[in-house]
Amino acid sequence: MKTKIGTTGVLLQIAFRNLFASKTKSLIVGGIILVGSMIAVVGSSVVDSIDAGMRGSVQGSLGGQLQVYSARSKDDLALYGKMGGEASQLEPIEEFAALKRVVAAVPNVKEVVPMGLDSAMVNSGNELDQALEKLRADVRQRNRKGGDPALDARYASHKAHVRRMATLLRKELQDGRSIVDAEYLEENAQEQADLARAAADAFWAGFDQDPLGNLEFLENRIAPQSLSNAFTMVRYVGTDLESYSRAFDRMHVVEGTMVPKGKRGILIGKLFAEDWLKLKAARLLDRVRDARTSRNRRIARDVELQRWLKEARGQTREILLKLDPMGADEAVARLRRALGSQETDLQALLVALFTCDDSSFDRHYAIFYESVAPLLDLYSVRVGDVITLKAASKSGYMKSVNVKVWGFLEFRGLEKATAAGWVSILDIVSWRDLYGYMTSEKAAEIRAIKRNVGVRDVTREKAEAELFGSGSGATPADDAARQGRIEVPSFARTLHLQSDADMAGRGYTQDEVDGGVALNAALVLRDTTRAKETMRDVRAALAAAHMNMKVVSWEEAAGALGQFVALARIILYTAVFFIFLVALVIINNATVMATLQRVKSIGTLRAIGAQKRFVVAMLLVETSAVGVAFGAAGALLGAGVVELVRFVGGIPATNEDLSFFFSGPSLVPRLGTVSLAISIGIVLVVSVLSGLYPALIATRITPLEAMQSED
Amino acid sequence: MRDAIVMVHDVSKIYRLGTAEVPALCDVSLDIRRGEFLSIAGPSGSGKTTLLNLIGCIDTPTSGSVIVDGKDTRGLSERALTALRLQRIGFVFQTFNLVQVLSVWQNVEFPLLLKGGLSRKERDTRVRALLDAVGLTRYARHRPSELSGGQRQRVAVARALVTGPALVLADEPTANLDSRTGETIVDLMKKMNARDGTTFIFSTHDPRVMAHATDVVRIADGQVVEREATERAVAARGA
Repeated sequence: MKTKIGTTGVLLQIAFRNLFASKTKSLIVGGIILVGSMIAVVGSSVVDSIDAGMRGSVQGSLGGQLQVYSARSKDDLALYGKMGGEASQLEPIEEFAALKRVVAAVPNVKEVVPMGLDSAMVNSGNELDQALEKLRADVRQRNRKGGDPALDARYASHKAHVRRMATLLRKELQDGRSIVDAEYLEENAQEQADLARAAADAFWAGFDQDPLGNLEFLENRIAPQSLSNAFTMVRYVGTDLESYSRAFDRMHVVEGTMVPKGKRGILIGKLFAEDWLKLKAARLLDRVRDARTSRNRRIARDVELQRWLKEARGQTREILLKLDPMGADEAVARLRRALGSQETDLQALLVALFTCDDSSFDRHYAIFYESVAPLLDLYSVRVGDVITLKAASKSGYMKSVNVKVWGFLEFRGLEKATAAGWVSILDIVSWRDLYGYMTSEKAAEIRAIKRNVGVRDVTREKAEAELFGSGSGATPADDAARQGRIEVPSFARTLHLQSDADMAGRGYTQDEVDGGVALNAALVLRDTTRAKETMRDVRAALAAAHMNMKVVSWEEAAGALGQFVALARIILYTAVFFIFLVALVIINNATVMATLQRVKSIGTLRAIGAQKRFVVAMLLVETSAVGVAFGAAGALLGAGVVELVRFVGGIPATNEDLSFFFSGPSLVPRLGTVSLAISIGIVLVVSVLSGLYPALIATRITPLEAMQSED
Repeated sequence: MRDAIVMVHDVSKIYRLGTAEVPALCDVSLDIRRGEFLSIAGPSGSGKTTLLNLIGCIDTPTSGSVIVDGKDTRGLSERALTALRLQRIGFVFQTFNLVQVLSVWQNVEFPLLLKGGLSRKERDTRVRALLDAVGLTRYARHRPSELSGGQRQRVAVARALVTGPALVLADEPTANLDSRTGETIVDLMKKMNARDGTTFIFSTHDPRVMAHATDVVRIADGQVVEREATERAVAARGA
């Protein structure tokens, strides 16, 4: 036993001394292993942290830990849209209440949140529409109870505002005349005549004789000519708002209030509002400021910032249109004071305001927000507004609902992340309207009407069977799916219009919220570490209740976005694999060379009585010692790099998508023990592997080599 | 011969070089008694190194048998041959072949560590005694690269003897040394032969070295040409 230790001792001694005897080889081999293990450690820490960040982002905004959706769906569920950005096509969950009963009974399930993900067009109306609406309100008020000085002044100002807009529109058209051809002018002769009329003194002098008639002319003939009549698409999730806010505590209302329990309404994503609903010039200024403060970019050496400011200067018309004469005068006065300018033209003042360099930007930015912004509606949608959402329903025709905007929402840590920040949250009853599914009250209404007119419940698909006997291929489940759908557009439309007004006002019970369709359901678990077994339990429960549902993890449900992490991991491991493959080849070559140089000494060892296994062990100890030493050094160095990155505040998310992956403004990587262990494991395997072939060669060295005289 | 330590019977060794067969030894028979100080002489390429390799169990014959210390090498595995070398045979090489990264002491101790079975104390005693015998006690901590050629060969002799082998083989042990140093090495080996009765077999083509041998076996073209017994030396020891 003692000599066993003695043999091992001398083996180790020879091995280590050999390493030091061939320093260059050891350093080259070691260097490669060091770099490789450093990359493995840093890379896997970063990927792990992205994984954790994503987990936070997805689980905290839409995903929960598990998602349930109909197994009959054509597409897989993709919470953030498919690759092309389209929403995935899901078959509806007919009766959410039934699903909820089954799933909520699984012990680890804390919350079952119904969801319908879709996007809709928002039309907030154009500035001219809004101005005309104000004017119409004034006219109504005057007609009802006569004028008073304050109302008269407001009325005059609103009239002047509309007139200014008409004048601006006309001027714009005249400016454009030089670049359009005669044919175009001819075709648009009527429009021009209308604009000329609306800008003329005569029209406004006679406005009060027939205010309603004149308003109609403006609304029908002038308003459509305003070009800023834009629709934007809003991505939203129709859901049980109360359950949602319980389940996703990252969501919080930054302005306005939560939609009251049982009410209809929408909470708009703050980032979406910033990006799409905010006055464009203001948004551009914000972007310049963000770029300057958080990314350290400078106007002087950044063409993009210069372009944004130039664009802002081109957006002054939008501001002019928003101001009525009283507001415009106030803005002129404020800007003259703040800029110390003698200019009297508002547009010129605004252009001067948006003309700035790095030294004046902060001051101009402050002036804009302190002096000009309070006079404007910065956002085209405000808290308390009722907006119209339009979407193509399941059966193809357009549906629209009016919903009240109760507030704006943000997801903590995801304020700048487009994927989450653009999501708005709509009550599920309104979503069911938009989606083209009957709410339970509508179903009841239709049943009542049908009873009265005596129709039987025959769907298109069933009609054939009804007429020609059975034989259609449709399964009972399919039929059930289609039965709920409204098949006659015009009929539904009428119903919809009739009930819209009182629907907005009334409240809904939990049964009504639950009792209808949903597209998918997010499950939030009590113990999130037991997601896998809970998934099994949920599947079992659904199977027992004969519900044909798919249960997927949040990663799967995140669709293309969820695959990002898997992809990043694959890329990292592939890179590491190739680094170590190259390392393996280089190390192998170096060690084979070294072994061949030692043929004589190995032969001697064999001649004087060392067994093959002694030689093999010696060489393996040599390569793995290098591997362990430099691998550990590389891992330490990698850990140092990770700590350094943490120390400087992480890797900044340079765009909005990254901040979703990072789940915050920057990625602060954390050293994972698992990834560390894996990296070290890889290093060990590689160093042993790279020592194997040289060791095999060494076993072929015979003691005869010792007898060869030196070259 | 009852006390023969090496018995070589009708041994042939043929090397294959591509398709050509090169005979190195042809039907060689040779018995070597215990305690002999035997020289194998012959011009280069005569087959003397091949014969030494066969006797030293680092090569096996194409035909015929080699029996070393009562063991027929024909039936032995590679592992058993290695063990036999370790237990019974010491080697001294033309180019010294010390382990460069080990000290003089460690080089001498190395076969004992491979062999096992001895305590540290026993090992120390043996190594010290041998270093003393070869006159290198003060160089124990030195590396081989710090020694002269003669000193290195003395370390090699000490290493060959440390396990107390029955047989020491030395292939041209003086070829890389000047003649004076060469003679001191042969003297040293002879001293050890006389002291412990260890059998020494060495190859050489140097007549002055040969003169020290009790027997000289002359080889040419793979065959034993003659065996000159220096009987008086053996007789003097009363073997």
